[in-house]
Amino acid sequence: MTFTFDGKRFRAPEGEPLAVALLAADRVILSRSFRFHRPRGLMCDTGQCGWCECEVDGRPSVRSCLVPVHDGLVARSEHAWPTVQRDLLGWLDLGSRWIPPTFYHHRFLRPSGLRKLYLDVIRAFGGRGRLSRRPAEPVRPRVARALQVDVLVVGGGPSGIAAAAEGVGAGRMVVLLEAVAGRAPVDLAGVHVLDGTAAVGWYDGVVTAIDDTTSWTIRADSVIAATGSYERVPTVRGADRPGVIGARRVLDLVVNHRVLPGERALLLGHPGDLRDVGAALVEAGATVVGPHSTESLRRVLGRRRVTGAIVDIDGRRTREAVDLVVFGDRTPNLELLLAAGGAAESRDGVLVPILDGEGRTTVPRLSVVGSAAGLARTPDPSAPVGRTLVCFCEDVHADEIHAQVTAGYGDPELVKRRTGALTGPCQGKYCAQAFASAMVRAGAPINGLPTGRPPLRPVRLGDLVASGLERGGRGGRGERGEP
Amino acid sequence: MSLPKTADVVIVGAGIGGLAAARELAARGIRGIVVLERDYPGSGATGRNVARIRRMQLTEDLSRVAIACQEKYEQMGAELRSNVLFYRLGYAWILYDRDEVERMREIVAMHARLGISSALLSPDDTLRHLPVFEGGEPVAGSVLSDDAIVHHDAVVWAHLDHLGRRFAGDVAIHPHTCVTGVERDHGRVRAVLTDQGRIETPFVLNAAGGWSGELNAMAGVRMPNRPHRREVLVTAPLRRSIEAAVTFYRPSEGWFNQTLRGEVVMGAVDPDEPTGVNQSSSWSFLQRTAALMTRKAPALRDVTVIRQWGGMYDITPDHLPIVGPTAQLDGWWQALGWSGRGMLLAPYLAELLADHVVTGDAPALLRQFLPDRFRATGEDSAPLETDYYSRYRSRSGTGTTSAPSPPVSTRPSSGNTTSNPGD
Repeated sequence: MTFTFDGKRFRAPEGEPLAVALLAADRVILSRSFRFHRPRGLMCDTGQCGWCECEVDGRPSVRSCLVPVHDGLVARSEHAWPTVQRDLLGWLDLGSRWIPPTFYHHRFLRPSGLRKLYLDVIRAFGGRGRLSRRPAEPVRPRVARALQVDVLVVGGGPSGIAAAAEGVGAGRMVVLLEAVAGRAPVDLAGVHVLDGTAAVGWYDGVVTAIDDTTSWTIRADSVIAATGSYERVPTVRGADRPGVIGARRVLDLVVNHRVLPGERALLLGHPGDLRDVGAALVEAGATVVGPHSTESLRRVLGRRRVTGAIVDIDGRRTREAVDLVVFGDRTPNLELLLAAGGAAESRDGVLVPILDGEGRTTVPRLSVVGSAAGLARTPDPSAPVGRTLVCFCEDVHADEIHAQVTAGYGDPELVKRRTGALTGPCQGKYCAQAFASAMVRAGAPINGLPTGRPPLRPVRLGDLVASGLERGGRGGRGERGEP
Repeated sequence: MSLPKTADVVIVGAGIGGLAAARELAARGIRGIVVLERDYPGSGATGRNVARIRRMQLTEDLSRVAIACQEKYEQMGAELRSNVLFYRLGYAWILYDRDEVERMREIVAMHARLGISSALLSPDDTLRHLPVFEGGEPVAGSVLSDDAIVHHDAVVWAHLDHLGRRFAGDVAIHPHTCVTGVERDHGRVRAVLTDQGRIETPFVLNAAGGWSGELNAMAGVRMPNRPHRREVLVTAPLRRSIEAAVTFYRPSEGWFNQTLRGEVVMGAVDPDEPTGVNQSSSWSFLQRTAALMTRKAPALRDVTVIRQWGGMYDITPDHLPIVGPTAQLDGWWQALGWSGRGMLLAPYLAELLADHVVTGDAPALLRQFLPDRFRATGEDSAPLETDYYSRYRSRSGTGTTSAPSPPVSTRPSSGNTTSNPGD
C-alpha cells in the first residue's frame, strides 16, 4: 500500500496503523504541541494521548495510531510551519518561560488602535486542523437504540471479562462494551459483547456509547468500570520527546509490527512491567539499559527526538546515550468515575477511586474493578516541579500552576481556567495525576480535580447524529433483551 | 478570610453582575462591600457562556442600551488595566425563510438609524463570507454586523484584579460561602445568614443569577424570573475558518463561533427545556446539536467534540433584566433575570445601578429594567416561560400555545420573528 504524508510517498502493509507506518519510515515527529510547538510522536497504546494527530483524508486532527493505512491515503501534518519535521515555530519553546498562560492579561492594550491586530496575531497562532476538506456528502445517521440490562461492563480486558463472567454466573443479563474492535473475545458465554463500541458518556446513570452503526443509551442496574489504565509519563523535563514511549506500545511495535523504535533503549519502571518488552527489544537486536526505577530519571535529552537521558544510579549522575526511553508506569483510568461525579483520593501519589470492600464507588450502581481501581505496583510518586510539563495538550508547566496558587487563584477550577491545564484534546487523561500532585505540592487550599465533563473521549460531531429520535433529540424507547 | 459581622453592602453572587456592581459602587466611594459566592468567582453563567458582545439587537430600545454596553467593553481593558480580549469577530444571523429576510430589512434600517453597522447579505454573499455553510440547507440570506466577542473568564479576572488592586480594604470577596437565610425587620432587610456566619447589613444586592429566585424567596420577595438550562459544546481547535459568531432560529435556535484559540463552541437550544436550577450536561444536547449543525454546515461533521457543559439563562417574561430596588423589601436590590444577555448588559447596567444607589434616582436608561415593572402577584410563574418561544412558534406553525402577554411589558410590540436573540 502506498500513502503520502506531507506530500512524500511511503509504503506500508495494509491495515498497519498510520502512526506505526510513519515510525517505521523513521518519521518520529507526528505533531506539534498547541502552544510551544514541541515535537510529539507515538507514545501511548490507548489512542487517547493525541500526540499523533494529523489530517487524514481531509479530516482534521485524526489520531493516526488508530487509522489503518489504505492505498492512496493522504495524510498531512498540522499546526507547524513549514512542516512538523522542521517547524520554525518550535523556537517559541525557548521563550516559554516568558510566555505564561496568562501572558495577555495585562498586555496588548496600547496603542488602542492596534488591539485588533494584536488579537489577529494571537488568533493566527491558534488553531490546529483545517475545517474539513472532504466533499459535503450527507451524514449517515446511526441508529439510536436504548437498552435496559442487569449488568453493564465497560472494558473488555481481563478484569472486564472476569466481571462479566461473574454476572452471567449469577444469572444476570450482561452487556460488555469494548472500544477497540477485536480486542475482547466475542464468544463469551452468556455475555452480549458490543465489540468496537466506545462508551462516550455517563448521564445521570445512563451510559451512552457509539459504534460504526449504532448510538446506544444503556441503563443498567449495575455498571462495572473495567476501564484499565493509562501510561504515566515521567515527570521530568523532556519526557514528551518523540522516542519516549510506553512499554505496551513498544511491545506492540516490536512484536506485532516488527518495527524497532530505537537501537539503544533505557527501561524505566518496575522490572515486572518491563520483562517482556526488554526481552523483545533484545531479541530484535536492540541494546537495553536498565531497568531503572522511574524516580532515577532526571531528564530526557534531545530536541527533535531522544538522544540521551540523565539518570541517578546509586547516587551517581550518569548520562546514558539512548535513542529510546521505555517507561512502564501506569495510572488508573478514572474517566467514568469522574464523569459520574465519583470521589477519588490520592494514595501513595496515585489518584484512585474511593471504594468500599465490594468495589462500589461513591456513585450508586457504579463499581470499579481491575487496574482502574488501583495498580498492583506503585509508580513513581514524585510531583512535577519547575519547568516540567504537567499538561501536554496545553504545555502547562509545574511552576505555572504554582504561580496561580501563589497569586490566590488556588481553586482547582480557577487553575484549570487560568492555565488551560486539563482542557486540551485529551481532557486530562494524561495529566490529571500530575495536575493533582502539582497542586498538592504548590500548597493549594483546595485539593481535588475540577469537575469531570463529558464526553469521555473525543467524538466527531457527525458521529453523534442518530436517527429514530423524537423532536428535540430525546432518546428512543428502552428495549429489554438481546442487543 | 473570616466573614465580617457587619457590612454596608452585601452582594450575593460573584458573577459578572455582582463583580461589576462591586466595582461601580466602590468607584463611587462606597466602602464595606462584601461579595458572597457559593462556589468560585465566575462559576455560574458568567463562566459558562460564550461572551458575545452584540450591539445589533432586534428592538430599538435594546439596541440603544447594547451600544452603550459594547462601548463599556471597549473601554474595559484600559479602565481595569487588564485585557479582556475584546475582538470584533463579526456577528451573523443566518436566515432561512423569505419572511425572515423581509423582517430583517426593517431591523437593518433601524440599526442604520442608530449607527450600528449591519448589512443584509444575499445567499451568495453569505456563503462567500461564511463558506462553512456551503453544501448545507439553502440559506435565504444573513444579517452581518461588526459585533464582538470577549473572553468571559478574562472579564472576571480583570474585575477581581482591579478590585484587589484598587479597593483591597473596601471590597472583600468570599468564595465558597452559601447564603442560608435572610433576616427582615419591619419591611427592611437586616441581615444575611450564611454557612460561614451572619452579616448584619442595611443593603443587599441579589446578583445570584440562576439561584436568584431561591435567594429572593429567602427574603420573601417575588420576581418573575426563572432559570432555564442552556448547554454548550466545544471542539478541538481549528485554523481560523469561521469569520463571524453565527446564530439562526429556523427551524430551531442554534449558534456557533470560533474562539480566538480556534475552538468551535456551539449549541442547539431545546425549546422544551424545563424550568429549574440545572447545570448538568445531557446526551440529548449532543445529538440535537450534531443533527442541527451537520444539516446547516456539513463541514462541521468532522470537528471533534472534546467537552460539553451546562449553564443557566435566568429568564424574565419580557426577556429584559431586573435591575434596581423593589418596594417589596427596603434595602433589597436586584441585578438578575439577565435572560441570556448578562455578559453584554451587566457591566453597563451596574454603572446605572450604582448611580441609582448614590443619587437615589433611577437614570433614564435604567427605568425599563426596574423590578417593579412586574406586578408582585402570587401567580407570576406558570405561563411565563412558555412565552419565551411562543412568538416564534406561532409564526413558524410548529407550536400551539398562544402567547400570554406578560404582566407589564416595556418592549414595543414589534412582532419579532424571533423571540429571544440571547447569547
